[in-house]
Amino acid sequence: MNEKKTPLIRLAKRDGMEGWKVWCIRLGSIIVALLLGALVMGLAGANPITAYGTMVSGALGKKSAIRQTIKIAVPLLGCALAIAPCFKMRFWNIGAEGQITAGAVAASYFALFWVDRLPSPVLLIVMGLAGAVAGGLWALIPAFFKAKWNTNETLFTLMMNYIIIGVVRWLQGGPWEGRKGSQIIPQFDKAACLPRVLGVHCGWIIVLVLVVFMHIYMNHTKHGYEIAVIGDSVNTARYAGMNVGRVMMRTMFLSGAISGIVGFIVASGANNTLYDGVAGGVGFTSITVAWLSQLNAFAMVAISMLLAVLSKGAETLQTRMAVPTSISDIITGILLFCMLGCEFFINYKLIFRKNSHKEAAKS
Amino acid sequence: MKKFLAILLSLVMVLSLAACGGGNGGETTPPADSGTSEPAGDQGGTDAPEAKTVKVGLICIGDENDQGYTYNFIRGKEAATEALAAKGINVEWVPKWNIGEDSGCEDANIELADEGCQLIINNSFGFEPFMLKVAPDYPDIEFISCTNQASWGDDLDNTHNAFANIYEGRYLAGVVAGMKLQQMIDEGTITADKAVIGYVGAFSFAEVISGFTSYFLGARSVCPSVTMKVQFVGSWSDATEEANAASALADMGCVMISQHSDNTTPATTAQSKGVFHTGYNNDMISVAPEASLIGTRIDWAPYFEYAIEAVANGESFDQDWCHGMDEGAVVMTDLNEAIAAPGTAEKLAEVEEQIRSGKLQVFDTSTFTIEGKPLESAFALDTDGDFTPDSEEAVFDGAFHESYFQSAPYFNLPIDGIERLNEAFG
Repeated sequence: MNEKKTPLIRLAKRDGMEGWKVWCIRLGSIIVALLLGALVMGLAGANPITAYGTMVSGALGKKSAIRQTIKIAVPLLGCALAIAPCFKMRFWNIGAEGQITAGAVAASYFALFWVDRLPSPVLLIVMGLAGAVAGGLWALIPAFFKAKWNTNETLFTLMMNYIIIGVVRWLQGGPWEGRKGSQIIPQFDKAACLPRVLGVHCGWIIVLVLVVFMHIYMNHTKHGYEIAVIGDSVNTARYAGMNVGRVMMRTMFLSGAISGIVGFIVASGANNTLYDGVAGGVGFTSITVAWLSQLNAFAMVAISMLLAVLSKGAETLQTRMAVPTSISDIITGILLFCMLGCEFFINYKLIFRKNSHKEAAKS
Repeated sequence: MKKFLAILLSLVMVLSLAACGGGNGGETTPPADSGTSEPAGDQGGTDAPEAKTVKVGLICIGDENDQGYTYNFIRGKEAATEALAAKGINVEWVPKWNIGEDSGCEDANIELADEGCQLIINNSFGFEPFMLKVAPDYPDIEFISCTNQASWGDDLDNTHNAFANIYEGRYLAGVVAGMKLQQMIDEGTITADKAVIGYVGAFSFAEVISGFTSYFLGARSVCPSVTMKVQFVGSWSDATEEANAASALADMGCVMISQHSDNTTPATTAQSKGVFHTGYNNDMISVAPEASLIGTRIDWAPYFEYAIEAVANGESFDQDWCHGMDEGAVVMTDLNEAIAAPGTAEKLAEVEEQIRSGKLQVFDTSTFTIEGKPLESAFALDTDGDFTPDSEEAVFDGAFHESYFQSAPYFNLPIDGIERLNEAFG
């Protein structure tokens, strides 16, 4: 009969789960991830409990460790803020990596060649602005093509990454190279480096300001509303008379500009130089941050800190217990997978065949 | 709903388990911390000579799998540990593998400093600028940047550089190559003008130029008709490019291949092309038994031993250290007796003794010319940062004094007899 055709497991969309249940599932997913991670550590020959303890104390146990952790969190947070409006709009910008790099290149140009001409505060502001404009323009290119000819933005933004990273490689080995053969761009002058506040470069203040800005922009402005409408339905937006192409380009420019500022922060604050790994995968990891935070700017602060703790903890794990860093990467991957995966169970439920009677009866 | 409660209950149980785990984790950390502070305590009690422990951080660009550059440091580390153990000094190594020449290196330095290392060794040239950002914050910790050169110019007392006079080893490898070429000429395998060496270099960079020049001078000291072609590959480590360069050189008529790059592919290419080879960093006879004659490498053990012993005893040590065969910092790998020219071993011992005693100067200005003229003057150091030497006369007492004013090599002159096929600055 009907029953025979029903597959063993079916999926059904869940609507409106109670809040506390949602959080139970999320908590559960973290616990599952930690247990799986413990298994991996056990296989690698480390005592999982000691290992987790080492990770936490390595990331937060000392003042200098906390500083290092924050240094890792700053670009993650900044970049997650940058891609949030794009994702809200369902514009899949996976080119933040390149936009960071473009911003870093522009900021580095001023750091290297304008350092004698401008006083330090002015120079830093110029570097930041240059980073924002360069990052914004780099993001505008795919947005323009998407708006005009509906090109695939995922591929386009991804390809743009490789171009700008190639440009940095060329600069490193060519015109901006310091000592010949070193393939290293010289360290910036002190005047071009972000000053430290409480022991960490002041980029952390910039991104916290951006958190507030992004929260207001997304939730309390006309722009934010337009983005939300386009994200829900492009046709509705058109019907409402919105210029979808224009909003797309504007939003991408903003997104790229914030990524560019992150690039400036990383180059000037953390590295004090430019190299091809300036973005260091932040553009991709921050997608996870944005997604886990459900595009909520304040939640991003917590999630980026969590990832930073994992990353710094992994370093200490290697130093103290000689666990290869790749093991820690695996654990981070498991955690992210579980956390993202649990959203699936929040939005959908699994229905097993034998229960189909009950389910039917219920409804 | 019941089912949900059951799931919830089990979750709570798991959670409480994890909470216990977390508690234990917190408890286990203090012992770990006190473990790291132990060596510091031991160091405090320096009056007890038997129980000295030094915690040493080692930051490496690769790991033992490269079988070349970093592997060579690991060998030095192990040998030094053994030698120091015999002197009653325990070394607790904290290695960091596969660190990039970027801010990750700065983080690694901070990490090791915070973990209580008393001495931190950075093994790659490009690590130095990042090390220098950390060193001022930890004046009680000694920082070493191998193969780089900032310590004589920075204002810090706790930064150090080290290198070895690898040109001495290159010269000896050149002697082995030259004897083989001369044997081939004498036996009529090649004519005198066909004694051409092909050299695979990384970059057009003083360290490389100094290396192939000394190698060439070694070869010419026993085979007067030798010439050399140099092909730069633009990378310190690119197995494919190195093989391509070696192959191209062999096709151009080079009958002897040598290299200043990290991989063994030039050796294997030489073997497949039926020409000979001398290596660097590692013994390459095992991969190319019919081609590889000998290799030379830096032995880091004497320096590690020297620096760590100084730290253990609370003494200061040289900020810029450079030794060669005199201290055992440069060693030759085994000679491939099966294919080397007869009498090579004896000649090698003789020349090695001359270098060790200082009787033989590798860059003796009477043995080479530049555009037909003997070298009378050349600067050693670059003090204004434009990468062109501008101070300290290196030519005196009839020789160019390499690695005399700073440990990093600075001989970069184009001598007659060596043809550079290209340039590669990166």
